[in-house]
Amino acid sequence: MPVTLVNPMNEIATQAAPAAPRLAKLQGKTIALLDISKPGGSVFLDRMERLLKERFGVASVIREMKPTFAKPAPAGVLEKIRGADAVIEALAD
Amino acid sequence: MPGLRLLAILQTDCPTCRLITPYLNKLAGNAAPVTAISQDAEDVTREFVRQMDVRFPVERDPGFETSKRLGVVTVPTLYVLDEHDRVVRQEPGFDKNVLNEIAGLLGHEPVATPYDGAPASKPGCISRHLEVQTDDASAAALDLHATRGAAASTVELAGEEDPYEYCFRVFKDGLPVVPPTRERVERMLRAATGHDGREVIARIPPCYGEATVEKIAANAVMAGCVPEMVRVLIPLARAVGDERFNAHGVQATTHFAAPLIIVNGPVRSELNFHSRQNVFSNVARANSSLGRALQLILLNLGGARPDGIDMSALGNPGKFSYCIAENEEENPWEPLHVEHGLQRGQSAVTLFAAEAPHGVSEHNARTARGVLKAITYALATVWSYRNCLGFEALVVLGPEHVHTIARDGFTKQNVRDFLFENTGIPLRCYEGEPGEGVAQRGMYKEITIDGEPCYQKFRAPESIKIVVAGGTAGKFSAVLGSWSAGPRGSQMVTYPI
Repeated sequence: MPVTLVNPMNEIATQAAPAAPRLAKLQGKTIALLDISKPGGSVFLDRMERLLKERFGVASVIREMKPTFAKPAPAGVLEKIRGADAVIEALAD
Repeated sequence: MPGLRLLAILQTDCPTCRLITPYLNKLAGNAAPVTAISQDAEDVTREFVRQMDVRFPVERDPGFETSKRLGVVTVPTLYVLDEHDRVVRQEPGFDKNVLNEIAGLLGHEPVATPYDGAPASKPGCISRHLEVQTDDASAAALDLHATRGAAASTVELAGEEDPYEYCFRVFKDGLPVVPPTRERVERMLRAATGHDGREVIARIPPCYGEATVEKIAANAVMAGCVPEMVRVLIPLARAVGDERFNAHGVQATTHFAAPLIIVNGPVRSELNFHSRQNVFSNVARANSSLGRALQLILLNLGGARPDGIDMSALGNPGKFSYCIAENEEENPWEPLHVEHGLQRGQSAVTLFAAEAPHGVSEHNARTARGVLKAITYALATVWSYRNCLGFEALVVLGPEHVHTIARDGFTKQNVRDFLFENTGIPLRCYEGEPGEGVAQRGMYKEITIDGEPCYQKFRAPESIKIVVAGGTAGKFSAVLGSWSAGPRGSQMVTYPI
């Protein structure tokens, strides 16, 4: 007798999002630095900000911070970094 | 009050608007005058109405004229209007108490219950006319709040295919499963009285797969659950989807945490849950299969697989199955679900993001203080010894320890207070090598324990959760550390069955 199984897996199709296009140069760009609020993240991002401005000539840096690393970024945080040309997220620890 | 009507301002891609819509449907279903205004284009509004099965009229707001006139800042905003269209009440965001108050104003029964899986409240999104304009087209909305999902697909196995090997190959779990045949799944669906197979109970983080009753049943069959277990699985799935528990984080963290299920109330005897000796072990089908069903639901519907999105560095043996029942018969105090506001005769499931149990042996202390003192030294090691921020602990007291403690007249609150006041890390530990928890010492509270200056390990007595479980022979208890706790991490949640 044929056996019929009920699919126990998630069947909602997910689409892989393509990676954002890479920037050809950093000069004159706006870069967002997103701190996920883990210890040490600000140390890394402070250094990144200095390097981006001094060595790569970025026009401006937006600094934002998630209220907790344990949950997805709230809409308000995403809204503030939306206009940036690229985002660097610091995972830290 | 007569003559009142409700106007809701909505956006089609706002999660809070999607969250509130089924409640507005309920109000409209009770013949209350409900209308809505969508701030979005006609095509996406029509799709929203279809997806959400909207049962009240939805109009559009070209040029945001109505939104501007009303001064809408947030969506959703609910306006209660009188017969002259004057605003009687204005409520932004989602709030169950507010919804019930408005239902009352419109002369209807409450529409929001505390344990339907939705949070008590949730802030909304900014009104479309106040948004920063960008060149982006609006993204397609995730369908996160539809109440009816798709039917599960089925596969007919070829005659020579061994169903067990098929399950290994396709469902990719490391342990054998009971093949989820259509007959077995239907048997469980028949036990799900009052529920339709396609009803969406929750969306399981982090990939937010739809836990329809049918999908829950298929996974529970695989785990070996009896059909009657479905009445526990449905509130359990709701608890997993509760934002306070934050399964999104628990399932993706590099930490040790795994969801521990604690079962309370009459369902323990009705479905043969075990709360005595070997309570954390493979002692009873009910405990083992419910814990395993939860893990299969998390893997197969939530998508955090242990070789993928679940990034735990060392993992947790509880990820095979992690389910205990409280030994209420040996508990002289109120059991866990009563502490959380339910009646003693009400059955309940509780979820706690827990590390593995750390045993505490104390066979020689003859007083409550002596027993509890031993437990404080295990509590002091939770998370990392010098860290005194951001975690909780579950203390599972064995019956012999409980008898000693209760004999000295301690209430459950006395136990919690004693553990809180006597668990600390000596200040001398913070000299020398730097390490985790040292940089934050400015935020710790200094106390004195047995004459020694210490930092208090826990933030509040309530950070220490207490249940009674285990066998009556052996003076043992256990301490289970939490994951990152509180509103910024994972909170313990209890759901009635």
